[in-house]
Amino acid sequence: MATGHPVVLPGETIDPSLIPSHPKNPLRLGPGLRHIPPTDIVPTVAGQLITNPIKNSMWIEYNSNRYIPSPNDLILAQILRSTTDFYLCTLSPHTAPATLPHLAFEGATKKTRPILQPGQLVYARVALANKHMDAELECVSSTTGKADGLGPLGTPTATSTAGGGCAFDISLGFARRLLMARSREEGGVGVLEMLAGEEGGGLAFETAVGRNGRVWVGSDSARTVVLVGRALQETDRGGLGLEGQRRLVKKLVREMR
Amino acid sequence: MTVTTTAPQAALGVLPRSDGSAKYSHAGYTLTASVNGPIEAQRRDEHAYEAHVEVIVRPAAGVGGTRERHLESLLQSSLAQLILVKNFPRSLIQIVLQVEDSPENDYVNTKLVQASLNLAIMPALVQTAILALLSAGVPMRATATATAVAVVHQDGAKKTVVDPSPREVETARSVHVLAFTSHNGLLLAESEGDFTVGEWDDVYETAKGICCRAGPAKEGTAMVLDDEEASATDMRQFLRSTMESKVAADLHWK
Repeated sequence: MATGHPVVLPGETIDPSLIPSHPKNPLRLGPGLRHIPPTDIVPTVAGQLITNPIKNSMWIEYNSNRYIPSPNDLILAQILRSTTDFYLCTLSPHTAPATLPHLAFEGATKKTRPILQPGQLVYARVALANKHMDAELECVSSTTGKADGLGPLGTPTATSTAGGGCAFDISLGFARRLLMARSREEGGVGVLEMLAGEEGGGLAFETAVGRNGRVWVGSDSARTVVLVGRALQETDRGGLGLEGQRRLVKKLVREMR
Repeated sequence: MTVTTTAPQAALGVLPRSDGSAKYSHAGYTLTASVNGPIEAQRRDEHAYEAHVEVIVRPAAGVGGTRERHLESLLQSSLAQLILVKNFPRSLIQIVLQVEDSPENDYVNTKLVQASLNLAIMPALVQTAILALLSAGVPMRATATATAVAVVHQDGAKKTVVDPSPREVETARSVHVLAFTSHNGLLLAESEGDFTVGEWDDVYETAKGICCRAGPAKEGTAMVLDDEEASATDMRQFLRSTMESKVAADLHWK
């Protein structure tokens, strides 16, 4: 383990030399840290302390299974039911439902709004997360008014032709790695590229990764959906590296033929 | 009979369906814990400003009774101090502790009767619950470590026994369970039997030595300690090394 990224337990004191200081930017605290005024910064979970001196930020890197909503997260929600003004959706089992307003879709008005059935999967962004209120979701960017890829999943739309799909459960840490801009270099996940590339024989599929530990895989072929989903879940549970992922993809593709 | 002071063992994430889980064995006790939360609380448990912490203790045999309810209430009040309950209003954090194995009494056959739990199991319950909470990533104020100490009168001499066996618990004048937070604060102190204030102070110092040792034992200090203390397990170091290996496994891609 790199000495620059120490493992911390809840309540431990962080060595002041590790806290980044920047002449202009304010210090930003990420997940797993809390600030006890005036000066104490204390970890609340067990994990690795990561600091970024350029952005003047610090956070705890850890893995868990229970999603706690926070603003601007991309999540995969399932519609529970509809009320007069919004849909109620689940983000994780046994938690209070999140609300998705009927008007939070691209081009939605009072007269034209998407009709979603209970059970339908929606790719959405967390607009509002407050501990005293249920989380609020949106499928449209409030600044541009565009969907930007958000919206109901599994129905043919202008950007997607895949008819069927399926959602798979993964750990939150793995979802975070999949969502990284350069997931292969930074997150060490190349399984999707491999499946679509040479090792997987050029499978055609699309995915939507939710920060709440769910990933949707869509494809015209049900076999491909199951194969991609299994590859993702096994990569997550087995903690496979890039070489392990390559071997897994080859094995799964061979079994499918 | 001597106590077999085996080093504690733990495995995290043993139950894949729960949010967090831990299996812990020490001093003859083996327990498995699962933690789920924060999840939606039942109406009657709902609190407007903080999370409800629910602790369920299941004995190795039979169904839980009054003894288990008592242990649950002790654990509940201790763990609610550690968990940042104010972060999750109207929700529930559920901790289920299943006793799998408890040490046999060599003199009386206690196996397979209605599991009789006593204070000696308390440290194992606390440790398992803490490990499972850490595994689930539930935000906490601090961690905690616990130990059981018995005061035994033998041949007219007083002796403090750490992690007493069931036989020693039976013959002991008093049994004490102490838990300390990682800030060296006393979290839990439960005592049973007859004892003086002086005895309790001795017990407190012994327990504190086990639970609150600062960092790994250094060469110089190890020489000063007598044999008994040096061989005692350092609970805090154990907790840390367990979590370090878990974090290393989770972040193998880093």
